[in-house]
Amino acid sequence: MKLKTSEQNGIYLVGLSGKIMGGPESVQFHDAVKHAIASNHKRVVIDLGEVEWMNSSGIGLLVSAYTTLKNAGTEMKLARTTDKIQSLLVITKLNSVFDSHDSVENAIKSFG
Amino acid sequence: MKEAPRDALRTSSSVDELERAVADLLDELRASKADPERIDRFLKLAAAVTSTEEVLRLKAEAERERAEYQLLQEVSLRLSSAAEIRDVLRAILESLGQVVKYDAAGIFVFNKDLGIIEVDMLSGYQGAQRNRVYSKFQEGVKHGEGIVATVVFSGKPLYVPDVRKDTRYVEVRPTSLSELAVPIFVRDELIGAFNLEADVVDAFSERDLRTLMTFASHAGVALERARADRERQHTRRIEEELSLARRIHTGFLPKSMPAFAPYDMGGMNFPSSEVGGDYYDFIRITDDDLGIIMSDVAGHGVAAALLMANFRACIRIESRAHYAIKTILERVNEFLVETNPPDSFVTAIYGVLNRRHNILTYSNAGHNPPLLIRSGQQITLLENGGPILGFLPDATYAEGVVNLEPDDVLVFYTDGVTEARDEAGTEYGMERLADAANRYRALPANEMARRISHDVYAFQAPDLTMDDLTLSIVKYDPSAEN
Repeated sequence: MKLKTSEQNGIYLVGLSGKIMGGPESVQFHDAVKHAIASNHKRVVIDLGEVEWMNSSGIGLLVSAYTTLKNAGTEMKLARTTDKIQSLLVITKLNSVFDSHDSVENAIKSFG
Repeated sequence: MKEAPRDALRTSSSVDELERAVADLLDELRASKADPERIDRFLKLAAAVTSTEEVLRLKAEAERERAEYQLLQEVSLRLSSAAEIRDVLRAILESLGQVVKYDAAGIFVFNKDLGIIEVDMLSGYQGAQRNRVYSKFQEGVKHGEGIVATVVFSGKPLYVPDVRKDTRYVEVRPTSLSELAVPIFVRDELIGAFNLEADVVDAFSERDLRTLMTFASHAGVALERARADRERQHTRRIEEELSLARRIHTGFLPKSMPAFAPYDMGGMNFPSSEVGGDYYDFIRITDDDLGIIMSDVAGHGVAAALLMANFRACIRIESRAHYAIKTILERVNEFLVETNPPDSFVTAIYGVLNRRHNILTYSNAGHNPPLLIRSGQQITLLENGGPILGFLPDATYAEGVVNLEPDDVLVFYTDGVTEARDEAGTEYGMERLADAANRYRALPANEMARRISHDVYAFQAPDLTMDDLTLSIVKYDPSAEN
């Protein structure tokens, strides 16, 4: 898993790539989430477009990020969920919980 | 290290004589009465003294080297016997004190990113000064914070003969006037620094620097050994924990299949090399009702096994206390939301099979949908339900009902089955699973589960990390007898 963070119009972007399977490397993702909160961002977009593969531990990452951000009053949106991720979201029935968009731009726009 | 008394006497008498001769000569020169013969005698004497001193210096150096070697031998012995890294570092500081005079010393070891201080050993710093050192390095070493930090970042030794004249110096002991610091390497990796402070200006020599480097390299060896030891212990502890968790896990799985004619049950669990969190079970609720559970805890290892144990206890209690499946899952969800760490959750399907009316009522909490395979190969997915358990505080769960017909086969499984991947990264998937189930549908349920598992194993690329593989089969077999 690789991670890139950036900022666009005050929105904190976290781009994930590679294989997302939880484990020790998830620490950097949790750090990015904590950083978004510490730097007082109220809107976060997780860009999943470059993710090659994800399993249920990867869903665990999104779940914990969602809870952590929500508790801090920060809204989280997903962008460019791949077919595999979309099917995981359908199975876990999180597709109605996570707001996903087909592009980062649309995710950003959706904050209104 | 002491000089032999005779040599010491000779030196001091020569030096005294020389001093007197210099004083006289200066007087004579000032009075322009210098006698060339006296000057000549003076130069000879000076040469003699210098050579005596040279001999003495070489002797002293040899002596010091011998003492140092002995000390290092001692330290090495202690290194191989001392179990605790702190004992070794203490020994190094004590031994060093016998060859290099210092007023305070410290050994600092940082983690790989220099972000955390792992070990330190101080000598000569008093209470409040120790605290100042600790607070300075607590969160790792930072650029521009003193001589030690400079050494850690440059990887080169640094000698500051007068700390008052060096802006990089950060005062800890008000009496310190000179400081010498060298890096500590383990193989080629810089892991920390060794520093000495003295209460006099220019206290350390080139020789002291070399000695300190030698001791630092010994400290490096000791630290490497201690790290390896610690890792070995850590691995052993993890292995013990895993084997305990594995025993707990297997203890929770059904030992035998319930007799529940006209239904035939079968189940298989192949745990991965790590301990997984798959759990399946059959719970007798009434004479005609059998509870069926298939679940998967996100994650592996001891934490997953514990969460699984939690889930199991909870659902077994709730399934006996309530009839409504949706209520059972809502209660389990509530409990897990309260007790779970945020990044873990459980996916599960819970169903109740009534053999009088041949009805399966179920609710699927974010789990891979079980397959209902009817003869004629029509496949229904059991998808009704709600989200994963342990995530959303007020999640609700819908129920699904299926009427079962003779020869129907229900296939419950975890993602270890459908997400098994071949060399090209293709997943085994639901279609292959349905095909395999159809292929083996004439076999008894247990045998079906075994054959399908083998099919998955044969598909899976051997070098890919394997998830738990769990599968249970329920067959409506009118010929089955109790």
